[in-house]
Amino acid sequence: MELKTFRGGIHPPYQKEATANRATVEISLPAEVVIPMQQHVGAPDSPTVSVGDRVEAGQKIGTSEAFISAPVHASVSGTVKAIEDRPDFTGALVQSVVITPDPGQPSKWTDKRDTSNLSADQIRDIAKEAGLVGLGGAAFPTYVKLSPPEGKPIDTVIINGCECEPFLTCDHRLMLERTDDLIAGLKLMMKAVGAQRGYIGVEANKMDAADTLTAKLAGEAGIDVSILEVKYPEGAEKMLIDAITGRRVPPGKLPSEVGVLVQNVGTAVALQDAASTGKPVIDRVITVTGPGIKEPKNMLVKVGTSIEHLIEQCGGFAGTPGKVIMGGPMTGWAQKDLTAAVVKGTSGVVVFDSASVDVEEEQRCVGCDKCLDACPMFLMPNFIVKYAKVGKWEMADKFGVNDCFECGCCSYVCPSGISHIAYVRKAKAELTAAEKK
Amino acid sequence: MASQDLIVSSPPHLREKGLMGSAMRDVAIALIPLIAVSIGFFRLYAVVNLAVAVVTAILCELVMRAIMGKKANIGDFSAIVTGLLLALLLPPAVPLWWVVIGVVIAVAIVKELMGGLGSNLFNPALFGFATLMIMARVPLQVSYNLGSIDGVTTATPLTFIGVGSGPLSGFRPGYWDLFFGHAGGALGEVSVLAILVGAAYLIYKGHVTWQIPASILGTCFVLSAILGENPLYFILAGGLMLGAFFMATDWVTSPDNRWAQIVYGVLIGVLVVVIRLYAAPVGAVAFSILIGNAFAPLLDRMFVRKKFGEVKAVA
Repeated sequence: MELKTFRGGIHPPYQKEATANRATVEISLPAEVVIPMQQHVGAPDSPTVSVGDRVEAGQKIGTSEAFISAPVHASVSGTVKAIEDRPDFTGALVQSVVITPDPGQPSKWTDKRDTSNLSADQIRDIAKEAGLVGLGGAAFPTYVKLSPPEGKPIDTVIINGCECEPFLTCDHRLMLERTDDLIAGLKLMMKAVGAQRGYIGVEANKMDAADTLTAKLAGEAGIDVSILEVKYPEGAEKMLIDAITGRRVPPGKLPSEVGVLVQNVGTAVALQDAASTGKPVIDRVITVTGPGIKEPKNMLVKVGTSIEHLIEQCGGFAGTPGKVIMGGPMTGWAQKDLTAAVVKGTSGVVVFDSASVDVEEEQRCVGCDKCLDACPMFLMPNFIVKYAKVGKWEMADKFGVNDCFECGCCSYVCPSGISHIAYVRKAKAELTAAEKK
Repeated sequence: MASQDLIVSSPPHLREKGLMGSAMRDVAIALIPLIAVSIGFFRLYAVVNLAVAVVTAILCELVMRAIMGKKANIGDFSAIVTGLLLALLLPPAVPLWWVVIGVVIAVAIVKELMGGLGSNLFNPALFGFATLMIMARVPLQVSYNLGSIDGVTTATPLTFIGVGSGPLSGFRPGYWDLFFGHAGGALGEVSVLAILVGAAYLIYKGHVTWQIPASILGTCFVLSAILGENPLYFILAGGLMLGAFFMATDWVTSPDNRWAQIVYGVLIGVLVVVIRLYAAPVGAVAFSILIGNAFAPLLDRMFVRKKFGEVKAVA
């Protein structure tokens, strides 16, 4: 069978063996949970509770009136200990609600109701009320994506089960462990946008998940499993749409431009959970792994749990930690300490011990063109860097810096060890600032 | 927990390792067939020239980087490759101190003084060679044209370019000699086959794309035919093959975008034909590529790559 794919990209070592076959486990409660008021793309929320308040798990504790936003909920039952600015996983200070959990947590959301009769509007409301955002990492509010713009009908919904980031296996586990809910979640999304076609895109290194899904989908009209080449970034929205449907989203446009909606595996499962039990997004599956972790695991984690607690739950560090990354190793954020909290979009924590950290001294670009071949957006990353270095932002723009989605393929193949993404972010910020003037 | 020791850097946190060293090493490996044939024909002359060039290149790099307070960088193989290429550009009987001067210009001045690998506008080996061509024009020309050391070498096959089908054309070497092995001209002119074997390896390894050599050779073939030359002889003779596959494709000094590479190749091809036919055949390829180098940055700006999903605006 010929595997579907896109042009460009790279083949990093996947290193998923440590956790791919480990079932998701629940972990003990942390001493406190830190819930940032901004875990999503869009406007931040304002707290609706005060210090000293008792809160129930699933209770809304932050809201916003803005269209592009998502409410946040208490992930545990307990007492509000503080409302203060805390650094999030990017290092930015974000207003956060700190909750001390009760020693015993109530069991909730066990009754399931049938979701097949929900209307499109009801599904959107459920997504909004549950604070659902893209759980693959982008954290874009789901109900916004489920409300396609006028005149741009969506005919296809794609569930992204590529999990092309090395090391991570949380989506893989969800596809195996929550197969029925995943399919039900996809059907809800198709109904919400009125799409007739559904796909679940799975990379060929997760054939157990693909086979399980295919078996469950037997006799199901309109939904197919699409097996994709194992290549990074296969799961990038535009690449995935191209690979599965052959449609290419134009520069600067959204997938709705070509009639497609893409959602992550975790988002589909969470939508089904919210629709069937009323459970908002207060926990998620994440993978804690890497050569610097003693016992790598897939675990169900409450939003607001610190990295430190996760690492303790995995038996601690193996060796001296060199780099702790929130997210995958290609796009994740290196942490300066272990205090940052898991948010809705956190897919994993990857730890490299000091011996296995890739440190490369940045050299001059030698014009090898390897970044041009690797770039899935067909940009010229070396030129973007060249102009960003001398502050020629408009030239960086001409070479497509705003079309870069920061997958990091260019830096992966760069023989000069250039960190393109640092320059890209700088150029984007400068261009945005110039536009505002 | 000793968290203050954590390394914080921008993503990606995975890198392919040792790429620079392996890429330049591959270029050196790709030159092995040519070097072997060259040594087969020129024996000690080739061995000594190549050795002197490589040793000088390494010394130049070490000294220059030490003076400028930079870390030694021999592991990236780029100085070694430059030394090898320069020796291959020169005829076997050249005085050794010319080899040394050529390499000093190439590595110490054109590469390291310009800021090191990646900062040079011009191909270091070709620049060193071109400087020698100007400084020692007459003796170099003579040694290319007559050769005749130990009766081993003969004149460069370039002598027969521009003679058309006149009486001299009967003396020129045949295609098969040029292809498989022929002792004439520079060390690097001995065998087209050996160059193609090395080039195939570089293309297979992904270090070189077909666009530049194909457009240079294609342009030379067509244009020389139009101007009444024997096109096959034209592209097989002299340093054109070595230049097209190993010099014009130099990462640093060639354009990066595919369309820019094709235009760059065509430009070099036209220059080679014009210089060979209307100026001097020896050094034509070198001067053409150096002029091409100067155009490379402009060409990259003129031919910005078409982005993913970009379609031509309908007017």
